[in-house]
Amino acid sequence: MSLIEPLEAVIEEFSKFPGIGKKTAYRLAIYLLRRPAKDVTRFTDSVTSLKQKVTFCKRCFNLAEGDYCMVCSGLKRDGSKICVVEDITDVMAIERTHEYDGLYHVLGGVLSPLSGVGPEDIKLYELFNRIREENVKEVILALNPDTEGDTTSMYIVRNLKETDVRISRIARGIPIGGDIEFSDDATISRALKGRITISNE
Amino acid sequence: MIVNSLRLKNFRIHKNSIFNFSEKLNFIVGGNGQGKTTILESIYLICTTKSFKSSSDSELAGFESEGYEVSATVSEKTESDVKVIYLRDEKKKRYLRDSKNITRISDIIGKFPVVLLTPADSEITHGYATERRRLIDSIISQSSELYFEILMDYSKTVKQRAALLNMIREKRLSYLFDELDAWDEKLVKEGMELMKYREKFLTGFNEYVTDAFRQVVELKETPVIRYDSIYVNGYDTPEKFSELLKKNRDKEIYRGVNLYGPHRDEFLFYLNDKLLKSYGSQGQHKTFQVALRFAQFFYLKQILNRTPVFLLDDVFGELDQNRSVKISSFLSEIGQAFITLTDFSNYQSLVSDTGNSCFNIEEGKIRA
Repeated sequence: MSLIEPLEAVIEEFSKFPGIGKKTAYRLAIYLLRRPAKDVTRFTDSVTSLKQKVTFCKRCFNLAEGDYCMVCSGLKRDGSKICVVEDITDVMAIERTHEYDGLYHVLGGVLSPLSGVGPEDIKLYELFNRIREENVKEVILALNPDTEGDTTSMYIVRNLKETDVRISRIARGIPIGGDIEFSDDATISRALKGRITISNE
Repeated sequence: MIVNSLRLKNFRIHKNSIFNFSEKLNFIVGGNGQGKTTILESIYLICTTKSFKSSSDSELAGFESEGYEVSATVSEKTESDVKVIYLRDEKKKRYLRDSKNITRISDIIGKFPVVLLTPADSEITHGYATERRRLIDSIISQSSELYFEILMDYSKTVKQRAALLNMIREKRLSYLFDELDAWDEKLVKEGMELMKYREKFLTGFNEYVTDAFRQVVELKETPVIRYDSIYVNGYDTPEKFSELLKKNRDKEIYRGVNLYGPHRDEFLFYLNDKLLKSYGSQGQHKTFQVALRFAQFFYLKQILNRTPVFLLDDVFGELDQNRSVKISSFLSEIGQAFITLTDFSNYQSLVSDTGNSCFNIEEGKIRA
């Protein structure tokens, strides 16, 4: 199918999006073409300002509008706790719970020599600096429990050995609302290994 | 578990074949390339979702067909209908149990245990250590999901660490050494768990191998599998393992490979204290291969509390008739088995008296 150039360009751009194939890209482009001009302008403006106005927090590398993110500039946040996560989407997931009142640190990746990601490619030194400079008492590691996430956690723990901050890792095991009966064996085994004492403390 | 009936549609050479099986021995007889092994392959597919011949699904589907369909009625405490459907257009395989789509592989593995003995097993006793590790890993994985998970994680760690070692060899940056410390810790933690599992497993499994020799092969030879690993050579704690890595760090960087850990483990087979690989005769190799599979059968039966289905592909051709008859009669007492043969004349007696069945296969069809 040969199309006029401007249309083809838009289709090309849309099909770079995750989860969007050629057909969907075509549909989206045709949709835009049929909208009134002001609607399309509003759309392109919002996309432009997304890139112009949204920045990364200078402190924790979460999404921000300005120098600092909503969490870091929040008044009621407990600055003595830092929760280390891989990605901004993890911050959103934890924030949805309204359970956590400390600060975050977004690494923007995990150690993976195969993909060429080393300690200097993610915000690890920035984390260590924060711990040295801010009054941090506890570091909570909330990285994904996979090969790379685990190793990144280990790397952080090793580098904080000399400091006196408390280091913890989020629990892993049986989900809320999940029956033990229906959990897979590996999850149950891990949950058993990571059990916590609740009496005689 | 028992496979009661099986239907193959456009599965390799079989266009439309229906089988009603015996609960004991099922002899599948025919010349080369007539579709005997295909029947074992389809039973294996029902039990594991995969072929044992590393073939892709498009190769399994008959020539110029739209796809294949393998369906079976199996009983394990209750009866269920299992179906595997592959359509060329969708390039997707579906696994249905009682008309319900099953998507998680762990919902299938170990539910319908299967043990396969093939001529390719000669690689286990003759071949590289990889083959022996694969055998041991597959048996432990079928009985422990956690082991399987750690194993997957560990193999990723090994790849990542090798990439880092190579990177360090090229540019010796101090922060990379820092990172290597973390990967060392990960390798040690998982490696230790795997080696602990393997050692414990082998202690128990050796008894099964000995029993298999007594019962199946009826030989007075004493078999034993010895674990050769850093774990049994003095490095049996995380601290000692870490130290070993520290001591050999330069060597590992120079070579750019992971030199220590369970991925380097070896399992040595001995018969009467003699190393099978160096001193065993062809017959002893074959016997050992048979005994290993019987040991696997009884081990899985014990651990899973389900009787595996036994598949024997063209094995009797390599054994003398006396031994083959002995093995068959033992098999018929322990569960259901499927045995492919090219020449049935020596085994005629086995069918008539014990409720066993025989199927003659010719060009993907059952000959009456």
